[in-house]
Amino acid sequence: MSWDAKTARRGPVAQDAAQEALTGPPSARPGVGAPLPPPAPDAMSYTYTTDLAAIRAVVYRHATEAGLPEPRAIDLVLAVSEVAANTIRHAKSAGSLKIWYDAEEIVCQIEDDGQISDPLAGQRQPSLDAMGGHGLWIVYQVCDEVEMHSGEAGTTFRLHMKLAGRRAR
Amino acid sequence: MRTIPLASALWYNKCVDLLTVSVTARESAGEPYTLVEIAGEADVTNTDDLRRLLEEEVAQQPRVLIIDMSGLRFMDSSALHALLRVNRSLDRQGGVLALVAPQAAVAKILRLTTADRLIPVFGSVAEAAAG
Repeated sequence: MSWDAKTARRGPVAQDAAQEALTGPPSARPGVGAPLPPPAPDAMSYTYTTDLAAIRAVVYRHATEAGLPEPRAIDLVLAVSEVAANTIRHAKSAGSLKIWYDAEEIVCQIEDDGQISDPLAGQRQPSLDAMGGHGLWIVYQVCDEVEMHSGEAGTTFRLHMKLAGRRAR
Repeated sequence: MRTIPLASALWYNKCVDLLTVSVTARESAGEPYTLVEIAGEADVTNTDDLRRLLEEEVAQQPRVLIIDMSGLRFMDSSALHALLRVNRSLDRQGGVLALVAPQAAVAKILRLTTADRLIPVFGSVAEAAAG
């Protein structure tokens, strides 16, 4: 693997980002979440506008090809679909999906030009009465690791699912 | 970086509408109920249509509204919100919502959000109508 995704776990990253967002002067804020290393060079790349069903289909196909067990493939499909749904709700242009995997994990990266200002978005469970906020919360629940970076250029989510050492949920 | 065209795959069929909904009035042991069958994939791109249709049924003040989800391959959080709204509206007017036979992906989101503790889920329409 050409880059190291193991260094950033979602908890500490989010806390650091929260601290940064709270203490840094607005002009010095680098955005929310740590900047991400580039995707794997052999990543498969797709763009989407409102064709979420197609996005779900490719994620499912690659996840099962990569060897992710069926229930976890469904989890990944659910997570990617929720992030991509945010693109439709909040971004002004098309979104981009990149997928790559090796023997250890499959990674889906979703990028759009929307901005997220809350570094803890999706990390608190919304009540069932809340008419929103479940989407990102689901993403954090089903994925083994979630990385998020948001700034003026847009928002990038990187969702990781382990292929070895499967976790039962 | 390779760019691959979107090919047809398990969950994607251009020939089929993403979401189909049918509504029928039924009866179980003399008790009327409304059966809504949802099939396909429910997400943010068709939630408005789904919500509108369900609200029309709620406006008929059914005592029992049963949603058969056995044909629903996928549901996202916006579709879930539509169901939660229906549940609340029905509850307010003394009606009951029941869900039937969710597939794996749908069952997962119901469980994760604990919506399945709020809305009863049954294995079959007959059970839901009797329950």
